[in-house]
Amino acid sequence: MWNNIRSMFTAKSSREVAKGRLQLVLAHDRTGLEGGRLQEMREEIAKVIARYVQIDAEAVEIEIETRSRETQLTVSSRIQTRTAT
Amino acid sequence: MGRAIVITSGKGGVGKTTATANLGSALALLGHSVVLVDADTGLRNLDVVMGLENRIVYHSVDVIRGKCTLQKALIKDRRLDNLWILPASQTDDKDAVTPDDMRRIVNELKATHDFVIIDCPAGIEQGFKNAIAGADEAVVVATPEVSSIRDADRVVGLLAQSDVPARLIVNRISPHLVKRGDMLSQSDVIEILALELLGTVPLDDQIIATTNKGMPAVLEGKSLAAKELMRIAKRLAGMEVEAPSDVGFFTRIGRALGLSASPA
Repeated sequence: MWNNIRSMFTAKSSREVAKGRLQLVLAHDRTGLEGGRLQEMREEIAKVIARYVQIDAEAVEIEIETRSRETQLTVSSRIQTRTAT
Repeated sequence: MGRAIVITSGKGGVGKTTATANLGSALALLGHSVVLVDADTGLRNLDVVMGLENRIVYHSVDVIRGKCTLQKALIKDRRLDNLWILPASQTDDKDAVTPDDMRRIVNELKATHDFVIIDCPAGIEQGFKNAIAGADEAVVVATPEVSSIRDADRVVGLLAQSDVPARLIVNRISPHLVKRGDMLSQSDVIEILALELLGTVPLDDQIIATTNKGMPAVLEGKSLAAKELMRIAKRLAGMEVEAPSDVGFFTRIGRALGLSASPA
């Protein structure tokens, strides 16, 4: 109870910071991809999407998440719809 | 036929050798016949942690090169009747041993002992590959720190690739730091590594003192860490023991009274 009240007023504990950093670093470690390869993949995916719909290549985002040893890669991209200017 | 268990971690300095010495001694105290194998060729330490450094004549590389029999290279512990150690060579390097050599040694030891506990070197290279070659199962030791857990995760992946099932020991947890929000908790580590927990060993000054003397803490038996290591050994031996608590007795009471938050 006290911990919950305290957490409403104070910054993240170092424990939470450590956990967040670990989850991020492990998600990337588990893909086995170095940063440069990930960038290449993002660019290639952007090219493929751009063949079908209009997009801003810079707006393609790759997110890697890991939970219980399952790692999920999500690609998201905002597309420019025809009604938009 | 005995069981071969490798104690591994990826990162150095997290307590692999101390865990090996204590779990092996605890299993011997429980009446099993145990051989501890130092797989850290070139940087042997299990002998000093066990206090047997003055009694080494032969080592595993001598066995591999046919200079002596395996039985002759084993050193018998003076404190316990059913505990032996196979020392590593201090002068050879890791490629003096191959995974096949290790498999042969471990299989021969399994035929005559209940447990073969292998102390794995730090790293994920040749020494690691040798150490896991003969193992039926693994115990991954991690401390509640980002670097240790990251390395443990790598090792867990490599063990899975080699079909070696792994369980976890969270070492050197400090309940008051966890409570203060300044240390990852046991449940954080389990959640991140997604491994079955064998037990959590608290940070304990007594371990430093017993290690100074070359005495495994479980043989003195008084410290908190020794009690937890004994409990882990019982779980390894397949005995029923109470599931480990999260941060300790007082937090459990606090939780029961609704005073502290439940673990994340």
